[in-house]
Amino acid sequence: MLVESPLMEMGCYTDFGVSGYCIFAKLRRKELIGDAYIKKMAEEMMLSIAGNCRELGARAIGHIKCHVHTAAGTIKADTIGTSQGAYSEGRLDHPVQDLSMSVNSAVSGIPEEAVKAATLEAMYQVAYRHGFSVLTEREQTYFDAFDAESTAADRLFEMEQGFDGDEFEEDF
Amino acid sequence: MMKVTQIGGFLGCGKTSAMLKLSRAVAEDGKRKVALVVNEIGEIPVDGKIIEESGMQVKDIGGGCICCDVAVQFGKVLVMLYRNFKPDHILVEPTGVAIPHQVKTAAKMGMRDAKVTVGQAIVLFDATRPAELLDMDMLGRLVVNQVKDADILAISKVDAVDDAARQEIAKRLREYNERAEIVYLSSFTGEGIDRLKEIILSGPE
Repeated sequence: MLVESPLMEMGCYTDFGVSGYCIFAKLRRKELIGDAYIKKMAEEMMLSIAGNCRELGARAIGHIKCHVHTAAGTIKADTIGTSQGAYSEGRLDHPVQDLSMSVNSAVSGIPEEAVKAATLEAMYQVAYRHGFSVLTEREQTYFDAFDAESTAADRLFEMEQGFDGDEFEEDF
Repeated sequence: MMKVTQIGGFLGCGKTSAMLKLSRAVAEDGKRKVALVVNEIGEIPVDGKIIEESGMQVKDIGGGCICCDVAVQFGKVLVMLYRNFKPDHILVEPTGVAIPHQVKTAAKMGMRDAKVTVGQAIVLFDATRPAELLDMDMLGRLVVNQVKDADILAISKVDAVDDAARQEIAKRLREYNERAEIVYLSSFTGEGIDRLKEIILSGPE
């Protein structure tokens, strides 16, 4: 059992936090391809990213997951580590050439730039191996660390202040 | 009255799959109105897109954690859902690093402008990697905090482990949390979904 300390009550993961990288990219190949092949490629990509993160020193894989959108349907794939394997599901109504892929890699123990490098290398290598070109449309690195300095009362005060404004999103 | 229930737990524990199963179970073919709030740290959604395909009313909050960074935005989203959609239930998937009691606090901010009750915090724990989650220094501290904060501990992916492993994990979790009900959950086989549905539908915390 872990030794109790004040840090244990402080909320989010304060020390190393969780480093992440997410990317939205367009993938294209010359020949049409079916869902079984895309699922296999997506699983291979997830495992390759996880392996790269481990090689760079990640102590734990939070998740590596992707969502593939096509004109014929969607596929998702994910892994929590190479030893656990990868999982995919979804189906396409017909073979396709163009994919839109969102990938999110969240790991602990390495900086976000390392997660980005691990993700991009694996993504490009696996995609190219399967005959796809990759065009990055959007990307973001992030690090989720908790503010260890503020107390629960501080956070409540901040929430109340923020909630006093009367501006609401209108996108529903 | 709109009831807000969080389905929390560390990254990769199966929150999204559980949310999909639970939302369908709670909605029960249109008997109840259910909305989903999905929180991802990154700004490019993956879980949100997956859940959108369920056909449920979904709001994706990105760019930070609803238990701290974007807590105010979360509270406002609850009020917006109340005003515009009037769901009976909102199921919330926080990020994998969120602390359950802070998510509850943020949800309670919505009570100022909407008729909201906050349900029990359901926290998933991945049965396939207990040592990886609990025995590492800082990561272990985060996961232990999540476990301690749970009102309901759902040991997830139990279809992938044997009975002895289930019992061992339950015993370990009991060391950190003596009061939470423990539910064995498999989004793959459906085990535990009915019990979690009952918990979500039962009275406030």
